[in-house]
Amino acid sequence: MPWRTALRAALLCACLTAVAPARAHAGTTATLNAAFAPERLGRRSTLDFGFSFSAPAGQVPPPLTQIELRYPNNLGIALSGLGLATCTAAILEASGPSACPSDAVMGHGQALTGIVLGSTIITESAPITVLRAPDEEGRIELLFYSEGTTPVNTRIVFPGLLLPASAPFGGLVSIGVPLVPTLPGAPYISVIHLRATLGPIGVTYYEQVGSRTLAYQPRGILLPNRCPSGGFPFAAEFRFLDDSVADAGTAVPCPHPHKRPGASHG
Amino acid sequence: MAILATLSAAGAWGALVAGIARAAHDVAPSRTVRAALAAQALKASDTAHLRYLSASGSLLFEEGQASGTLPGSMRVHFSVGATFSGSFTIYTRAGSITGRGGATPHGSGVYESFAGSLTVTGGSGRYAHAHGRAQLYGTFNRNTYALLVQTVGTLHY
Repeated sequence: MPWRTALRAALLCACLTAVAPARAHAGTTATLNAAFAPERLGRRSTLDFGFSFSAPAGQVPPPLTQIELRYPNNLGIALSGLGLATCTAAILEASGPSACPSDAVMGHGQALTGIVLGSTIITESAPITVLRAPDEEGRIELLFYSEGTTPVNTRIVFPGLLLPASAPFGGLVSIGVPLVPTLPGAPYISVIHLRATLGPIGVTYYEQVGSRTLAYQPRGILLPNRCPSGGFPFAAEFRFLDDSVADAGTAVPCPHPHKRPGASHG
Repeated sequence: MAILATLSAAGAWGALVAGIARAAHDVAPSRTVRAALAAQALKASDTAHLRYLSASGSLLFEEGQASGTLPGSMRVHFSVGATFSGSFTIYTRAGSITGRGGATPHGSGVYESFAGSLTVTGGSGRYAHAHGRAQLYGTFNRNTYALLVQTVGTLHY
């Protein structure tokens, strides 16, 4: 692929010259996006969320170390039928998601990462798989698996723990993001953008019925019958290696009520 | 989520009341006897099988039958998330008992176990002044949302 060739060339060029550390990170800002697909109250849905970091020109954000993503109250994540099986970090690190039960997969995504080498920003896009892990100290645990190939060939697994959160949130996912080394003397990888889904889109489970194995799509996150005032709130706090913190929030607007045939205005 | 006790073992209730009444007849009712008549404590152990009725977001509404010390029908509203929490009403022949409870789920798979506690906050009929606490544990079927709840505790009424 052309972009991969360009990345390799840029990486080679950067290595032949000098490996300079990333410059100081001042003013990293975060944006958070969330959506439901479909967004229909009382129906099953897939949560689509993402976040992006902006950094001054020619820089990348500091390496990310911790995410706390708060999600709305009364979201039927635990009733979604997702994560009926579990997978462990050891299996993922050794063999990747293909070695895990299909019924452990809860979602998919994509991460855009980058490092500054010399004066060049090298970016890399890596797929993400979200899986259910065995409970950790009585808490529901998720595992995020990401595998990048070019320019940095790496495979990382990081945990996300579901914790209670105060209103108007129903809970939070606390995600510890590991530092990913690149080249000797070069900075750790920085996350620039991440987008992921939690729900049945792109997920297939298998059920044993008698002697047959049937494929099915898990039900998905059940939305409440009523939309909270102001929409479904999401908030995130991001912590970086340089001890800086960025906050972001968003709300999924309430869907427009479906007009009944013959309904009059006013 | 919960179940509490009745002396639905009508025999046990009858014997207790009769005994107190005899004591009350033989001698002037003491403060202790009056207190015994006014408040009963019962250790109860019950099991409820609940089935899914409806859901909205993370909230489930279920009903089913309770058996054990306090048999009757039961309705539960509860929220399923990082923790389980909700309220319950059990309808016995002598009155209803209401309360609330919370539990922490453990494990994974189709059947998720949980353990926690409940508090009885009131009721009607014989249990109009019911209060008490109980431990609860059980399993939750993540496919059918069926709930199996076992409770062990003490009911005062």
